[in-house]
Amino acid sequence: MTDTATHPDDHAISRRAVLGGGLGVLATFVLHPNRAGAAPGRATSASGATSAAALGAAATGGTVSGWVRVNADNTVTIAFGGAEMGQGIMTGLAQGVAEELMVDWSQVRTEAAPPAQSYVTGGSFGVRRNLGAMRLAGAQALDVLRRAAAAKWKVDPASLTVKRGVFTNPATGAKLKFSQVAAAASALTPAASPPLTPQSAFRILGKTAKRVDLPSKVDGSATFGIDVRVPDMVYAAIKHCPTIGGSLAATPAVPAGAIAVVPLANAVAVVADTTWAAFKAANALSVSWSIPSAASKVSSASMLATQQALMASGTAGSPVAEQVGDAVGAYGSSAQQLEATYQVPYLPHVCMEVLNCTAHVTADSAEVWVPTQAPAWVVGTVQTVTGLPASAITVHPTLLGGGLGRKIEQDYVLQAVTVAKAVGRPVKLTWQREEDMGHDQYRPSGLVRVRLGLGGNKKVAAYQSRIVTPSPLAQRGWIGPTGNDNVDGAVELPYTFGSRLVEYVRDPATIPVGFWRSVGESINCFAVESAMDEAAALAGKDPLTFRRMHLPAGTRARKVLDTAAAQIGWTTAPPAGRARGIALATGFGSLAAMIVEISQPTAGTMAVHRVACAVDVGFAVNPGQVVSQLEGGIIQGISSAQWGRTTFSSGRASSRNFSNTRLLKMRETPVITVKVIQSGMENLGGIGEVGVPPMAPALANAWAALTGTRLRTLPLFPSAGGMGD
Amino acid sequence: MTYNVNGKTYSIDCDPDMPLLWAIRDVVGLTGTKYGCGIEICRACTVWIDGSPEKSCEKKAREGVGVRITTVEGLANDPVGQKLQQAFIDVQAPQCGYCQSGMLMVATKLVRSKPKPTDADIDAAIGNICACGTYPRVRQAIKKATGQ
Repeated sequence: MTDTATHPDDHAISRRAVLGGGLGVLATFVLHPNRAGAAPGRATSASGATSAAALGAAATGGTVSGWVRVNADNTVTIAFGGAEMGQGIMTGLAQGVAEELMVDWSQVRTEAAPPAQSYVTGGSFGVRRNLGAMRLAGAQALDVLRRAAAAKWKVDPASLTVKRGVFTNPATGAKLKFSQVAAAASALTPAASPPLTPQSAFRILGKTAKRVDLPSKVDGSATFGIDVRVPDMVYAAIKHCPTIGGSLAATPAVPAGAIAVVPLANAVAVVADTTWAAFKAANALSVSWSIPSAASKVSSASMLATQQALMASGTAGSPVAEQVGDAVGAYGSSAQQLEATYQVPYLPHVCMEVLNCTAHVTADSAEVWVPTQAPAWVVGTVQTVTGLPASAITVHPTLLGGGLGRKIEQDYVLQAVTVAKAVGRPVKLTWQREEDMGHDQYRPSGLVRVRLGLGGNKKVAAYQSRIVTPSPLAQRGWIGPTGNDNVDGAVELPYTFGSRLVEYVRDPATIPVGFWRSVGESINCFAVESAMDEAAALAGKDPLTFRRMHLPAGTRARKVLDTAAAQIGWTTAPPAGRARGIALATGFGSLAAMIVEISQPTAGTMAVHRVACAVDVGFAVNPGQVVSQLEGGIIQGISSAQWGRTTFSSGRASSRNFSNTRLLKMRETPVITVKVIQSGMENLGGIGEVGVPPMAPALANAWAALTGTRLRTLPLFPSAGGMGD
Repeated sequence: MTYNVNGKTYSIDCDPDMPLLWAIRDVVGLTGTKYGCGIEICRACTVWIDGSPEKSCEKKAREGVGVRITTVEGLANDPVGQKLQQAFIDVQAPQCGYCQSGMLMVATKLVRSKPKPTDADIDAAIGNICACGTYPRVRQAIKKATGQ
């Protein structure tokens, strides 16, 4: 392979190699771990010049890539292809490489990989899907380094010992650092499947590792997208048509204090010399919009009526997501029947860092700095606007001030690149909070009707779920009408029900919907786990006992429930004035059981005192981080269950800022305990999402236990208002 | 206009009505102080004015003249601030990290005025919004930094 190779990956490699020089690295070794059939590798010098160095990369499959680079000071830089939005993915993936590379955690540095080697971060897949590839990358790097050292000493590679990035020749006691053999190693082809460290010998995986990104997050030096500053940069603000579905009728004149006005499909961008000047000009701008009459009639009430009609009628041949046995017949003939319909609202994401993107477009190149969960998609978005080849596009993924599924979307990137192209200078586009909440791609609203038929033995003989929601995937045309992203949490439940029928009915609502932390689970877990409590009451059983009746001994689900119950002392009554609620979630490869303890400090309000969580993640790569993610999921789950929603009237979203949107605060945060169960590496699961869905049903179940009133609609307390007091 | 930020003097040329937050971020060029809501609710924009925590998003740029401004970038100059920064790392408090600058500015001031803050003190002082849910660890960090 030479520098003239035209494979897209090679451009990325070359650019990375040049960047390596730019990082002030003297001698570097670059290994690309996961490119089937290709052999990209480069040794770089301080000048940034590249030279070909065929380094085999034999990993197969997977979408992750990464590099290991040995630096002159014998630290290693590990590139990662995920988006760091607080979940510690940078650290988790680097742990996998460092484990196999036989370096200490203190020797590890990290940096973002270019988009061609990145992957979309979502679905709690970041670590669980890519850990194997990253471990292989580390093992392959060690393999070539080891052989390079052995060649210098003319000994059997297997005879060398290695510790902290230093080889020792046991025969002579001589030592060689990785940095001393990196250049030679870069000329070798690594073994396809070098041996991996057995779990019993793990030094780094499975141990709590300090997050690599945290020092920069306590001293203001972390660069989020919104912090990017490039020379000659100007600033843009966005003003969308307030009515969803409307479009720009005419481009307004450039107002005083602004540099440019750029028309966009459903918005207009105002460019000025500071963020504030752009905000101010955009807010003052009078804009004429074209608003279809149907769009202006969209309201929460009308959308609910549509969902209710769809629920009643189903659709001819509503897609069946799961069918086991004859659930319709079994329900009809069951001794006791529960039917309940649960309702969930549209939800904005509310990342603390508003949407933003910085772009610079010239005639023959484009450069983008952006907080994104999908760097590779950004390249495609830039191409749509500029027509440039991928090789002319550089994307710098930044840290994300929250992602939550919102920063997978490309709307804000498309806008920034369009504006940058129009003004011919680097532009940072920042959405004001009101635009961010008012023009989200919301978690779908929905209705879920659950039917549970109990046999004479009080066990569930029939389970039916009918789900009516818009589908993010179908709305984008990515899949057909089945909307299979919306049935998660309703299908493949761990309970031993006698029969099952899960149907999905697509709601054709035009509100843009997207992926909100835990996606379909956030809807269906509320319905199913609320219904389980209602059925337990019908059966005259304790809610924990009733669930255990449907979970065979030895199952992971039974163990998480029992572990959560033991933590809080389920069999002992809560203090006077308090009640408990329980819920179970299975998804993202993990299982979580939550037990909450609540009271009613004043009529119609809830105080959450305790949350006992047990989670089975299979194997905890970074156990401390598993606990953090669960704590965060629990807190977001409590906020959204109690208060989260946006409503629509005349096609406009109600939630615009924290004055009418409420999130949990320090003083409202319960005491949270998290027990992490590790059932085995083969069960490696995700942790980013599974803590969210069980919170709403656990709280609703606790409320029913406390007050006797069953709340089947989220949010539980819709009139709570905002935080502007 | 002349600013004193973290002990350094800056000459500022901007609209005196610009919010102090944006003057600090775009004009002074210190981006550790964050925009979250622009309406003084989330407190991501908290800085110290003459040593006292203030929300900067609705303050005017001209109000930054003739006072000492401290941002998160200058927090390590304060021994209590430095201690809290280390405690935030020790207990691995930040997740996405976006709100943590404001959190630290408020927490440091709390500890300066109450060297052993109780849970009730922490609840009363920390009104900052964190969407990641770092509250339990921020509480833990404050306790740790104050030897509790």
